[in-house]
Amino acid sequence: MTNASPLTERHVTEHCTPGDAHCITCSDEGIEMTVVKLTQCGAQCRDPNGIDQRVEIELVEPVETGDVLLVHAGVAIANVSRPPAPNQPAAS
Amino acid sequence: MKYVDEYRDAELGRAVATQILAETEAGRHYKVMEVCGGHTHSIYKYGIDDLLPPNVELVHGPGCPVCVIPMGRVDDGIAVARNDGVIFTCFGDMLRVPGSTQTLLDAKAEGADVRMVYSPLDALRIARENPDREVVFFAIGFETTAPSTALTLKRAKAEGQSNFSCVCNHVTIVPPLRALLESPDLRLDGFIGPGHVCTVVGARPFEFIPDDYGRPVVISGFEPLDILQSILMILRQLREGRCEVENEYKRVVPQDGNLKALEVMAEVFALRPHFEWRGLGFISQSALRLSDAYADFDAELRFSTPNVRVADPKACQCGEVLKGVIKPWECKVFGTACTPEHAIGTCMVSPEGACAAYYNFGRYQRQREAV
Repeated sequence: MTNASPLTERHVTEHCTPGDAHCITCSDEGIEMTVVKLTQCGAQCRDPNGIDQRVEIELVEPVETGDVLLVHAGVAIANVSRPPAPNQPAAS
Repeated sequence: MKYVDEYRDAELGRAVATQILAETEAGRHYKVMEVCGGHTHSIYKYGIDDLLPPNVELVHGPGCPVCVIPMGRVDDGIAVARNDGVIFTCFGDMLRVPGSTQTLLDAKAEGADVRMVYSPLDALRIARENPDREVVFFAIGFETTAPSTALTLKRAKAEGQSNFSCVCNHVTIVPPLRALLESPDLRLDGFIGPGHVCTVVGARPFEFIPDDYGRPVVISGFEPLDILQSILMILRQLREGRCEVENEYKRVVPQDGNLKALEVMAEVFALRPHFEWRGLGFISQSALRLSDAYADFDAELRFSTPNVRVADPKACQCGEVLKGVIKPWECKVFGTACTPEHAIGTCMVSPEGACAAYYNFGRYQRQREAV
């Protein structure tokens, strides 16, 4: 067993620098990003570290400023701010 | 941050852990597989396993896209990258995945123009900026990244970007799960379902697990409380004698997935008849190729590749780790010959790989007593 307190982020060894929320080299990890500005070619979104990136939003439109999007590899695949519609119920 | 902080509350986590303990039966050992590498990463990042009773064991699944890439496919990528005039693009982790003799990073050091991108859309941008060069994107990932590749190829086709192509290694999650469930050496009690994959494909594709194999599935988010709650829901199903697909990640996952994403994937991709998975062997209809309508963008048709199957190094036990048969620390080379700096196996390369997750968070060795 380690001595780290559960649910407290552990420090990683120096070769891996995943940052607070994700590994910057693994684009297969979903990142929740907030829409800062809508543009003609997508949206400017802010990641949990405060870094802005351009995100493609075609697959989750309509999107509004302030929405939180789930982004994989530069493309939003879900709008976290807009939960599944009642006519598309989640499984349970 | 909204949707993040409230799912990392340590007090709530301990409360859920108490409920988990209450759901377990003394004398019974539970094996729950987290399918997705993102879950594996979160479990060890936040010490979730330390909150579980000793008779609840988490088994790591095959859901890290880097980890399941066989060496032969890496060799194919390196062969394409070595062509004169080619700009070869891929995600960062792929640079360090060993092929039979070298990595893409080695090829880059020897002169190949290999570049890391965060998105296939970045690769397409490079193609626009270099019209006199061939730009190839080495696509990997499950149904989470496949939509971005599909969208990129759709754009490339619309723009007539003829110097852009793709080596498609996208895989699908359901066939390997079925293969695991058919495996005689692995007894599992339930599955933590891959929340982000389900965002795209929905919950329905996982209904075969309770229907055909009698195992519960709970689709889970990736924050610590998501995972703890999902484990609780699995154990509750087992105690109550239920067996179904439940959705803990309701704030994101719709029953039918992202229909726009599925539509663009159906246009751009077609199922391969079979595909090799590292450690799992060939699995039927478990991967995607470019559809006939997008054959002009298929790098495997545009360039010559060795297309040879390469056996894993004898010392490497990634296969057993990927099937959950052994824990990372039980591999003979874990933390000694195989480290993230000098990986022998793929599971040590990606931060989502089970071996790297153990190694990165100080789990060089670990023992648990089965009850």
